[in-house]
Amino acid sequence: MIRVAGVGFLNAAPLMVGLADDPGVELFLGPPSEVARRLSEGECDVALLPVAAAATLGEIDLLDVGIVARGPVRSVIVASTSPLEAVERLALDASSRTSVVLARLELAARGSHAAAAGRVVACSPHEVVAAIAEPGVGGVIIGDPALEVEGRFPHLLDLGQAWVQRTGKPFVFAAWAARRGAFTDAIIARLRRAAEEGLAAREALANAYAKQRGEPAARFVSYLRDAISNTIDDAAEEGLRRFLREAADAKLLPPPDVRVLRRADAARPPRPTVDALLLRAAEGGRLSAAEGLRLYQEASLFDLGLAADEARRRHDAPDVVTYIVDRNVNYTNVCTTSCRFCAFYRPVGHEGGYVLSREVLGRKLQEVVDAGGVQILLQGGLNPALRIEWYEDLLRWIKATYGLGLHALSPEEILHLAQLEDLDVATVLRRLHAAGLDSVPGGGAEILVDRVRRAIAKAKCTSAEWLGVMRTAHRLGLRSSGTMMYGTVDTAEERIAHLIKLRDLQDETGGFTAFFCWDFQYERGTRIAPGDHGSVLYLRTQAIARLMLDNVAHVGASWVTQGPDVGQVALRFGADDWGSVMFEENVVSSAGTTFRMDAARIEDLVHRAGYRVVRRNVRYEHLGTPA
Amino acid sequence: MRSARFSEIEAKVRADARLDERDALALFEEPDLLALGALANEVRERLHGDRAYFNRNVRLEVTNVCVASCNFCSFARLEDGAPGSVTLTVPQAIEALRRKIDPAEPPTEVHVVNGLHPGLPFSYYEELLRALRAEFPYAHRKCFTAVEIHFFARHYGMSHREVLERLIAAGLESLPGGGAEVFAPEVRQRIAHDKATADEWLAVHREAHALGMMTNATLLYGHIETFAHRVDHLLRLRALQDEAIAAGRGRFQAFIPLAFHPDGNGMQALPGTTGVDDLRTLAVSRLVLDNFDHLKAYWVSSTPKVAQIGLSFGADDVDGTIVGETIYTAANKKAPDGLTVDELVRLVREAGRVPVERDTLYRVVREHPRAALEGQFKVRERRQGKHLAVVDVVHPEGSS
Repeated sequence: MIRVAGVGFLNAAPLMVGLADDPGVELFLGPPSEVARRLSEGECDVALLPVAAAATLGEIDLLDVGIVARGPVRSVIVASTSPLEAVERLALDASSRTSVVLARLELAARGSHAAAAGRVVACSPHEVVAAIAEPGVGGVIIGDPALEVEGRFPHLLDLGQAWVQRTGKPFVFAAWAARRGAFTDAIIARLRRAAEEGLAAREALANAYAKQRGEPAARFVSYLRDAISNTIDDAAEEGLRRFLREAADAKLLPPPDVRVLRRADAARPPRPTVDALLLRAAEGGRLSAAEGLRLYQEASLFDLGLAADEARRRHDAPDVVTYIVDRNVNYTNVCTTSCRFCAFYRPVGHEGGYVLSREVLGRKLQEVVDAGGVQILLQGGLNPALRIEWYEDLLRWIKATYGLGLHALSPEEILHLAQLEDLDVATVLRRLHAAGLDSVPGGGAEILVDRVRRAIAKAKCTSAEWLGVMRTAHRLGLRSSGTMMYGTVDTAEERIAHLIKLRDLQDETGGFTAFFCWDFQYERGTRIAPGDHGSVLYLRTQAIARLMLDNVAHVGASWVTQGPDVGQVALRFGADDWGSVMFEENVVSSAGTTFRMDAARIEDLVHRAGYRVVRRNVRYEHLGTPA
Repeated sequence: MRSARFSEIEAKVRADARLDERDALALFEEPDLLALGALANEVRERLHGDRAYFNRNVRLEVTNVCVASCNFCSFARLEDGAPGSVTLTVPQAIEALRRKIDPAEPPTEVHVVNGLHPGLPFSYYEELLRALRAEFPYAHRKCFTAVEIHFFARHYGMSHREVLERLIAAGLESLPGGGAEVFAPEVRQRIAHDKATADEWLAVHREAHALGMMTNATLLYGHIETFAHRVDHLLRLRALQDEAIAAGRGRFQAFIPLAFHPDGNGMQALPGTTGVDDLRTLAVSRLVLDNFDHLKAYWVSSTPKVAQIGLSFGADDVDGTIVGETIYTAANKKAPDGLTVDELVRLVREAGRVPVERDTLYRVVREHPRAALEGQFKVRERRQGKHLAVVDVVHPEGSS
């Protein structure tokens, strides 16, 4: 049985129809981003992969069968009420990175600033259509929704047409793809045969689609027949390579490492050396998943550290390490998720369950203020007794009484609230934001690969849900940290996939201020065996994160889990932030890790590692050098 | 980042030229910690490849009564009968060891160090060694620091040689490296004024080497000493090792830098060492002590996590299971009490090295398969100059 992931859009239908009835094929249809996720996480053997995803994953073989535009495509457009060169911000549907990258390249080529970092807001397709009512906003619309808005906006750029006009080459949106070397002759024959059948059935497919929508068939027929072709010939391959090169030059994608299997004897592209990859990463160039994995596994500890240190210097004041004076308050330990790695939670009704009273909280918060603290990190279990009004009151009270920054409520808690109150995530976040929420902590990310999440925290949100909360938070102007807890059942490949997901979202929103990682802290009370661990792996992981996350400004050293000595050494492996003076950290300390430090000790350690130390706030703005 | 001076030193190391005092000092002051570590790692891998040694050892301290008053010590109680003072009889000592020993995992070494007790007869130590030999014949007896040997010589009116010969006759097999502290007189005077001087410590080891014994050496760093004092210390050890190698009998096997822990002793106002200092000291030691075979990242003093990184900063040994350690324990060490063989094997593997269980004399007891952890360290590339020298492919199922 071959597991195939395909795309449900009309333009892909000719490639899919012949596979649907094939008993040797298990066919999944979904949006392009989900197709890419499946191939990345080993959930399928072959995927109709957007070419941007092929570059991001790296070491991918493409078949010469895909979705190719040789002129106007109509289904991938930028629409606006303003002329395109006056487009200042982009609203985009992030379900296809290829189209997003293409839009950014084409707008940049036309002199629009909208492609620049920080001017992109990601939305769902119908939100894009709403957003472009505003002047100065361009909306990237992909797939069938693009066909629906035809003729409704005065300024429209057909991205297929734009590319073909500018470069003289066809544009390849997607192609059948597999991990390097995984295409067999049998699979190739099957996919080609299906494509031929589909080609013959184009008119019928368009008619059926039109009928389903109750619309005239002619424009869908012409769309499939004229706008889209399915063969990657010489010219199309040249177009593909040019696109990937331009995207790499703009640092939107890693340099391509894809091969197109147009002949049986297609040569594998030469592999860059580990040294070349280190050099590229140190200089701020983008690494594919395959390249990141190679460095993570093959580069020496020192080479990784030196490259990460160089990358860190590109982001920050090279001689400064920051920290924040804050406190981690776990407002309740009552939780319904029962994660296997957690020794902190108590089930509903358990006698050891608590919700902190205002009195206890107030005392803790006053201590933070007295110690010169500027923030609290407020997290807790998923306690069904606490309603959204309780949170709103709490945040307003803290803001009004203590004036502290509120780094509060991880995505899991936000989702829990949305479900409890039957509200959408955006509404929950908007209400909490209005009540004083400043940023969303990145806790609960664990590993953003669902195989891992199912194994260690079945009741928790999926990776897509976690990322969705962060996307929404960022769009509302909230900031957040990104985290990774590894060292349970996760593989090196899955850790890299996690980093890629954070990087992709950061490309869209720019909302992550910093990244922290740590290994799972095993202790009695948790029900899961430790996986990969140790200080050397910590340093390697932190360093590869610094190199992969080329668009995240800060990386923190997790001294709470690694201890002050390793935390100090980690400053040489890409970290520029010491996290916080922690008054308490209930979750980690119930699992036995109880490193504690005051500001004087932190400053001494940082100085003795050779850096200046500066206090910061939750947005990583410097608050000046402590006396 | 790296200094121009460092590049000169790097060239010397690669040409196998000996580093001098100025070089050593420059290494302690080198701002680029990773360049320093990488160079030490080159030497370490040249000597030992990916192997990292450990042994199964058990500790015994028969008395903490001590006539010396070292400022850094949280262990000794000055007078017999003072609160917390302990002196075991020989049968008590044997019983204490029996309790520490897991018969399923018998130690290959028993490591005995003590306070300088003024009230015990010399025969006590001879009896102790004979009893150890009789009760635990499988365990190598590595007993008494040079400071103790020197104390015995003074206290019982013998030469170093006489003391050593009588103890060897009773079963002594090698000397641990303790008591070296810092050799430089201006430091030693302030932290350990009333025990063996540097010259006396070195004289005992010279004598032990002449008698064909293997010994170790230590440095207690991270208190009031300067980098220059550390360099002086390393160079004195290196000079004595040159003599020992020329004489062709015994010699130093391993150098063990010991991080000072400022808890419960006369110097607790000092800040103590940090991870960066621990790694730097390992790396410089590896580069300067070019005639020492082994360098230990002693996990009890530096914590297991720093010791793991130390295995990439020049160290090739993590010491052993260390059942029953009390000296760092008295200073509130940050490390756990004792590790099992499984834990040590895991510690070494997590650091990307191949665990090798050794005996006291570095003979291989058991090579553990590399058993790569999921996803880690598939291939190791080694940088030499501008070129990458290949490559050591690791097979997940076993040693390469």
